[in-house]
Amino acid sequence: MSRPLEDILFGAPSAQARTLTRVVSAVAAALLLLLAAGIVYRFHSAGQLEARFWNFFAWPTTWAFLAKGLLGTLASAAMAAAIALALGLVLLLGRLARPRLVRWPSIAAIEFLRGTPTLLLIYVCFLVLPSVGVKLSTYWMLTLPVGLSTAAVVAEVYRAGVLAVPRGQTDAARSLGLTETQVFFSVVFPQALRYIVPALVAQLVIVVKDTTFGYVVTYGELMQNAKVLIANYHSLVPVYLVVAALYCLVNYGISRASKRLGRPMH
Amino acid sequence: MGEVARLLAEYGPAFGQALFLTWKLTLVSFVPGFLLGMVVTVLRLMPLPPLRFVLTLYVEIFRNIPSVALLIFIVFALPDLNVLIDYEPAVVLTLTLVCSAFTADYLRTGINTVPGGQVEAALSLGMRPMRIVSAVVLPQALRAVVQPMTSLLIALMLSTSLASQVPFPGRELTTLVSKIATDSAAGMAAFAVAAAMYVATGLLIAWAGAALEKKMRILR
Repeated sequence: MSRPLEDILFGAPSAQARTLTRVVSAVAAALLLLLAAGIVYRFHSAGQLEARFWNFFAWPTTWAFLAKGLLGTLASAAMAAAIALALGLVLLLGRLARPRLVRWPSIAAIEFLRGTPTLLLIYVCFLVLPSVGVKLSTYWMLTLPVGLSTAAVVAEVYRAGVLAVPRGQTDAARSLGLTETQVFFSVVFPQALRYIVPALVAQLVIVVKDTTFGYVVTYGELMQNAKVLIANYHSLVPVYLVVAALYCLVNYGISRASKRLGRPMH
Repeated sequence: MGEVARLLAEYGPAFGQALFLTWKLTLVSFVPGFLLGMVVTVLRLMPLPPLRFVLTLYVEIFRNIPSVALLIFIVFALPDLNVLIDYEPAVVLTLTLVCSAFTADYLRTGINTVPGGQVEAALSLGMRPMRIVSAVVLPQALRAVVQPMTSLLIALMLSTSLASQVPFPGRELTTLVSKIATDSAAGMAAFAVAAAMYVATGLLIAWAGAALEKKMRILR
């Protein structure tokens, strides 16, 4: 990539423009600091800065409990991601298969799982399945729906990757006498994977976000544990702030990793 | 099938209203979210470091926070700070903030597709930077982001289901399904109807987006 566009736009300012930019920058900084001060003052005047709302963050038990929640989040997210990667491949193979009897149901399954909110699927596992005699643990009531809806998205991501592999690769592999299975698994799919690794990692952010619904089924993930902390210490604002910050950090880390993985491909 | 017919006889109008509310929530959060995202994108181009820093922070926070966590914060934590927002505006605000952050991110990518030479040419014609942004850069960036914005709109439509997490007077589709599932044994049929409505809406948006994309695409 060449220079960012804004550097070209404002690249060679006149002396006058430079002064103006500096003044406006200072004013903007002052206004933003004023805004921050206003927020802090609002916390103070609402009594949210009192020590009793914050002091339990100094106790290791609090952090151990939050860490346990985060671990629950990651355990669910990891299993959901594993389901999505495996089932996504099955759905992709169905989508690419030639017989209509396989292809159409696969397309229907992908569109259905992709087009339905994860929360609705969770409610089905939580409210509807028990009434027809299927009992799942809270872990699976959360992980299964998240995994299923991600699988459909992953199948489409896989497909984009497979379509991006040059046709000549398939033709060459076939002319070498490889079977269709070998062509797909030894030649096309490994190359497709390399194109789509960033997109797959980015999908992980959505999985982590979706596991937030764990509190709906009272599975012990970060959000659920936050609710327990709040019930114990009557400290809503600080706990939710800390938890939101934790989610942001985890997801930001994953996003950064995805962007980094995307770079050497170009 | 009989179960679905019986369900529709009893809850038909309720499903109609729920679908309508889902559409309404989607629209009233997408439009302001899109406009806000555009403002953020343009402001981030300004050569003002403090503003850029804060807006980048804004985008990263609302792109990475789970929407439910944000909604719960707005509904349950803000009252402790003496900020009271009613349930429906809280849902719309949540979706708007998240939508604006993603819009800003996608538009930035769209702006990167505009060749720098165009900006240099416009500068040498004597155009002011802001005029270049509004007349040269932004129109092309907007045309480049039709497809990601379509996906965002579909994701936003599905996200309206989080309205079921707050005691809302109106019922959107997910709230209605959870209510029917708790009240009666028709949960599976209700789920099937709601899922069909979500999928149909999503396919409709995808189709409209593809049509728009075909018209707007710039071949480079």
